[in-house]
Amino acid sequence: MRPLDENETTVVFEKIFKFVGNNLKNIVENPSHEGPEPEPGRYCFRLQKSRVYYVSESLVKRATNISRKSLVSLGTCIGKYTHAGSFHLTIMSLNLLAANAKHKVWLKPTSEMSFLYGNHVLKGGLGRITDSIVPGDGVVVFSMSDVPLGFGIAAKSTQDCRKLDPNGIVVLHQADIGEYLRDEDEL
Amino acid sequence: MDTDMDQIYQTDVGNLLAFNPNHRFPSTPSSREELVKECVTEGTKLVQAIADTLFNFPSTESVDGPLVQLPPPTTKLPREKHLPRPKPPTKWEEFALKKEAKKDKIVSDETTDKFKRRHGYDRVNDDNDIPVIEAKASDEPGEDPFAKRLDDKKKRVGKQEKNRLQNLKTAAKAGALPSHVQLAATALPISGTKTQPQKIGKDALGDVAGLAATSTASGGKFDKKLPGEKPPKKQGKHHKYLPVVPRYGWVDEEKEQTNKVLGKLLSKHSHEILNVGKAINMYNDKKEKKKSGRSDKLKPKKDITKKKPYANKAN
Repeated sequence: MRPLDENETTVVFEKIFKFVGNNLKNIVENPSHEGPEPEPGRYCFRLQKSRVYYVSESLVKRATNISRKSLVSLGTCIGKYTHAGSFHLTIMSLNLLAANAKHKVWLKPTSEMSFLYGNHVLKGGLGRITDSIVPGDGVVVFSMSDVPLGFGIAAKSTQDCRKLDPNGIVVLHQADIGEYLRDEDEL
Repeated sequence: MDTDMDQIYQTDVGNLLAFNPNHRFPSTPSSREELVKECVTEGTKLVQAIADTLFNFPSTESVDGPLVQLPPPTTKLPREKHLPRPKPPTKWEEFALKKEAKKDKIVSDETTDKFKRRHGYDRVNDDNDIPVIEAKASDEPGEDPFAKRLDDKKKRVGKQEKNRLQNLKTAAKAGALPSHVQLAATALPISGTKTQPQKIGKDALGDVAGLAATSTASGGKFDKKLPGEKPPKKQGKHHKYLPVVPRYGWVDEEKEQTNKVLGKLLSKHSHEILNVGKAINMYNDKKEKKKSGRSDKLKPKKDITKKKPYANKAN
């Protein structure tokens, strides 16, 4: 377990910034009340076996008692580094992203299942969409009952969405909560 | 043009080269323009020869048209750098050329009648093994033959060392030494050479110092450095990771690092904070509302055509 170095931190922050924008500040400076200390500690990012975890400092202190080989996971895993060195956000960062998301998309109940199987979001399944979305932005996908389902990258801007035909792709799928069942081994 | 002229031209299709070795000017050209014309006509013939050979090759279809694979070039281009200069033979090599002696590694020992190695541990004719040296007629009384043997050996070793240095000097003069050996050779006292020894650059010197340092057990870290000598450059990847948990009472470097990265990122995207389109729309809406003078559409509209009860002043 070690803290991220500067390049790694920039990469991770860039990826999260796509989804949360300036709320990134809130994520980094979130006060945590987990430990026995009276004043709230901070959350920090730690790297263990090419996975990046979002942990509170008090938890990190206690995790130092576990040897590197036995430590499996700590806090929330937000993503992992691939063999080639690029960083991908995984589904387990959904709670963090959903709480601070800038761009949101709501799905109709009929197309929820399709998204949960790993398909992209088509215009026909779109319920609501926040405006001022630029293609390439990170978007968090919700159901109509405001349950976060996953996240992805916007393929079209909000204006273009209105002109699309119903089978056009609006959001490219990156992660969904169905992965907890499908890719249980890889998480 | 003419097919029999093709054989006269020498073509190297790999280099797209055609050469007419038998060209002769029919008459000395009187003016520059005539010379140019003559050259152009000859050139076109040569180019035609190349084109003919090219079109005779099997071609494959590609996006831009027929594609031909050229054969490897046949013209030999001259060498860019000089051949490596041969080292002058050392004194031993010269001697060995004359005397073709074959030296075995295992030799039979006279005293013990066994086979021992020529050099090293338990060798033939070791100085320490000789129990008795018989006195010869040429020996002076009072002279220690064992000490004499040691002296002789020392002299031989010294002579060999001198020979080695001489070999290095001659090789350095001929320019056939690699840079690190060259450095050792130039440090020798060279007297009477007119040729200036090649100056070795700063980088080469640093490399040589690094090479020498690797021969020490600690990699040259504790070697005495000359005044002005810089410490060796770090080689290879160096990762300095921050401590996992910030040390008690010390500055939290990780926090600083995250804040720095955060600041950079936010400032880079700070131009996106203002949504220009939205701002323009809001501004235009405000302006229109001001113009029409109606702040709220829900307020009852004033009807100008409706006449007031006291308007009729005629009464």
